[in-house]
Amino acid sequence: MNKKATRSTKPKPDPDAAPQKQAVCAVKKVFFIADNLLQAEDGADRMRLERFYHPGKGQPAWFITHHDCQIMEMLEYGEPRRSWLLNNEVCSNGRTYMTTPLDATLLALHHLRKHCSQRAMSLDSISVDASDASTNRLLTKFVTAAGLKCVADVKASGDLVFYKYNPQRTLAWLTLKTRGVVAVLKAKQVHCGLGAKSQNYVRSEKLVSENDVNEMDYLRMACDYVGRYLDADLHEELTRYLQIPSEIQALVEEKSSAQKRKSQQGQPSANSKKIKLANGEDAASQLRNSSLLDSDDGKDSITSPPTPAPLKERTMTAKEKALAKGAKGSKSIASFFKAK
Amino acid sequence: MSITLDFDVQQLDNKRPMHLHYLPAKIVGDGECTDVDKHFNNYTRQAPEFGNGVLTNALRGYPLLGQQESVPKGYKGLVLQETDPNQAERQLRLTGTFQNFTYWNYDKVPSKSDGYQQALVMLDVAEALAEPVSEEALEEEMKLQKQAKKENA
Repeated sequence: MNKKATRSTKPKPDPDAAPQKQAVCAVKKVFFIADNLLQAEDGADRMRLERFYHPGKGQPAWFITHHDCQIMEMLEYGEPRRSWLLNNEVCSNGRTYMTTPLDATLLALHHLRKHCSQRAMSLDSISVDASDASTNRLLTKFVTAAGLKCVADVKASGDLVFYKYNPQRTLAWLTLKTRGVVAVLKAKQVHCGLGAKSQNYVRSEKLVSENDVNEMDYLRMACDYVGRYLDADLHEELTRYLQIPSEIQALVEEKSSAQKRKSQQGQPSANSKKIKLANGEDAASQLRNSSLLDSDDGKDSITSPPTPAPLKERTMTAKEKALAKGAKGSKSIASFFKAK
Repeated sequence: MSITLDFDVQQLDNKRPMHLHYLPAKIVGDGECTDVDKHFNNYTRQAPEFGNGVLTNALRGYPLLGQQESVPKGYKGLVLQETDPNQAERQLRLTGTFQNFTYWNYDKVPSKSDGYQQALVMLDVAEALAEPVSEEALEEEMKLQKQAKKENA
């Protein structure tokens, strides 16, 4: 009885104390804010966090604005188990909020494609169509005329300026942007290949072989990065425009080239050793049939020595065959559980 | 909906720099804790056996390896605080600023393979993406594309 009483009384002070404590020290957040947002010109003007439609996310996201003309994206970096210690205070929110530069034209692109693909429109009339005021604010304050010129045809009539979405210009513009990203990825030596690699391993390996770096892998990574700011269909268009093969195709190609021995790589017809299998099929055609490779890679696979994978698959099917033979005539297991 | 960062930029210089630790642990709870100087900073040691500038300490008996990090170039570290998230006009107030902090890893020497370091690469990538494209470069690219199309056809 006594024990029960203490149990029920014990939690009581907690709900009263908790809100009090929170009121004293409300949630703090750690920001990395770019210096160019922090220039003190006009003390009265405050930075603001605002929500604008983010085409890559398909929903509004946070952006930081200043002076009604500067805009940067608000990125959030978080790990599952991180917290901050700020002087003598614990901050359970271990995230870091960073402002990253942004070309507002990327955000405008969504609205241009939506409204101005058929006819030229002025920015004001685009905004009228949209339901919320943020689009208007975005297009009239933060998007630059120079930026819009890269993705649209501009027609001026008196004071009014009309824009019409231009797919060719947009794709060329995005290509240039993607190349810029490729340059940075290369300069930073970001590993863009397939699969994970230890950073330490890559570093020591680099001295030995530089051919590890694949141009297409960089381009794919850069294109995917640019695509994070685009509508999904435009991202696909860009991928096709840059002629980037799909990742699965690349994986197959890499596999087949990895199977080749170095001495065999230069001479396609040198490989005469074909292991005969029980049914007379040689390994190359086996590989071709096993749907591991695309049909147009058939030429490549001839040169590659047989891999354990298709052989293993064969024994498996034989086993299955035997199993199937043994199971012939027996009832399906499901039939035992059927309601009679 | 918007949140105002309610502080004067000139205020930044007057604030005393804060001491920050980026801990590899989830901590349930916020607010004032113990005397960090006495119970944590006091035990920070140089550990040259792990590399240059590597520090060691322990959090609740778990070994930590860390190093001094500075805020990325071109950025300032700010600690902001939201007073009342239920208000219609949300505001963030300035608590303090910092240029350096201590990055701690659990049982692993801080290196380029840490998520945090990789996230910083994104800052440069974003900068490249935001770089404006010149009119001439765009015309050039479209010309090349047209040529490539003709050759294919």
